[in-house]
Amino acid sequence: MTLFIQQLINGLALGGIYCLAAIGLTLVFGVLGFPNLAHGALFMVGGYVTYTLLVDVGLPYVVAIVCAALILAVIGVVFERLIFHPLRHAPHTHHMIATVGVMFFLISLVQEIWGTGFLRMESPFDGRMTVAGAQISTQRIIIVITAMVVLIALTLFLKRSVHGQSIEAIEQDRTGAALVGINANVVSMMTFAVSFALVAISAGLVAPIQLLSPGMGESLSLIVFAIIILGGLGSLPGAIIGGFFIAMAEVMASTYISVGAGQAAVFIVLMAVLAIKPTGIFGTVVQR
Amino acid sequence: MMTISDLSVGYGAGDVLHSVDITAAAGELTVILGANGSGKSTLFRTVSGLIRSSSGRVEFDGEDVTRSRSAAIVRRGLAHCPEGRHLFPRMSVEKNLMLGAYVGRRDRARVRTLLERTYELFPALQDKSHQSAGSLSGGQQQMVAIGRALMSDPKMLILDEPSMGLAPLITQQVFDAIVGINQEGIGVMLAEQNARSALKIATSGYVLAEGRVVLSGAAADLADNPAVQQAYLGV
Repeated sequence: MTLFIQQLINGLALGGIYCLAAIGLTLVFGVLGFPNLAHGALFMVGGYVTYTLLVDVGLPYVVAIVCAALILAVIGVVFERLIFHPLRHAPHTHHMIATVGVMFFLISLVQEIWGTGFLRMESPFDGRMTVAGAQISTQRIIIVITAMVVLIALTLFLKRSVHGQSIEAIEQDRTGAALVGINANVVSMMTFAVSFALVAISAGLVAPIQLLSPGMGESLSLIVFAIIILGGLGSLPGAIIGGFFIAMAEVMASTYISVGAGQAAVFIVLMAVLAIKPTGIFGTVVQR
Repeated sequence: MMTISDLSVGYGAGDVLHSVDITAAAGELTVILGANGSGKSTLFRTVSGLIRSSSGRVEFDGEDVTRSRSAAIVRRGLAHCPEGRHLFPRMSVEKNLMLGAYVGRRDRARVRTLLERTYELFPALQDKSHQSAGSLSGGQQQMVAIGRALMSDPKMLILDEPSMGLAPLITQQVFDAIVGINQEGIGVMLAEQNARSALKIATSGYVLAEGRVVLSGAAADLADNPAVQQAYLGV
């Protein structure tokens, strides 16, 4: 039982990380209609930026994460203007190829600045807490709480604020959005900024329990794509439920079966869901 | 109010509109008649900034808006209710309407008034205000689309085939609403295939064929014109 509770909280923590990263990916997909294949690389950049702000600059942990999120948001706007805006009339395959380019660029850039080896970021909260008899590291509790707070704030932003609604309006009908006076360029920039900020937060949260390396985005990238396909491309609740679902499957399978089974569980769950509902849990059939 | 002069529009291979001239006076109801593919929608999409013209000029409310973005044009007071409605299908009716007031959202009191006016015009929408727009019937969706356009507090409303796909009774309701909107002093430019009903409520009209204005004049004269009668009224 103790083991189960411990793994449950591990699953929640991992789910929080996955959700934040997956929402960023699903937002860009919903608004711009293409998958950002550089999302994992941005996750890695977010991790390294947080590391530098924490270790080299000496900011407190939470401040470092917030600053990293802001820096990545600015990078998001720059990328949108520099790379994706000029491609707006091109077919979507061009965007995808551009995101692959961005991915290689970012990986090389990080190798140049921080080197190719592993970096270790000490958790500022290295204590342990006892929850229902189980020993839980404080960092995981911090991850769960922060992820929840960010998820709630994000949902309020998307559903209640007029800027959030303009994102949703563009997802649902581009022409209709233009005709009510929503500027698609501004919404694109905002979407990239929010997406990149979220992936930076998830990287900043996970960094203390993982090692940093230029390749750390690759496995995340694969899992996050599985999540948004499972939840339904472009769907916000899909990304949240998919994120926690996949994380739980991964954690429980690796605890009770084997570590390898954890990796496999992600894709077994994905295949099972797609066999029953090919558009994903919340997916709608969209013709593009 | 709106002067379109020598407007040509092309989608790459040849022009779809050929030097079209149309004038719509403030507060009037102008009808654009034409068969499918005659260029009505292209004309409207150009006027509201969704597509660019290859030459010519669009003037609205004393200002050249030929190169303006859609957002700037809505802000100037020209609202476009497009063919096919283009609602936000998974948002509630009320959210659709509120997003219609996107450009004027800061004046909350005015938005309230506009929302009340919309519900007065289309009482059926009030009961459905929390349902998703995509779940409504075609007629109600058309009402949401017109209502959303009205929420931007326009001086002029362009309506692209609002009767398309609607039952005759519902079409009549929509036309009554259009007359009501026009009586409030809002200019209306209406594209229709349903020439008989449209000419009945219009002040003046234009007939488009293959991207050219082939006839124009007062609505009553057009209704009596043998060419129009033969082509559109089935006499």
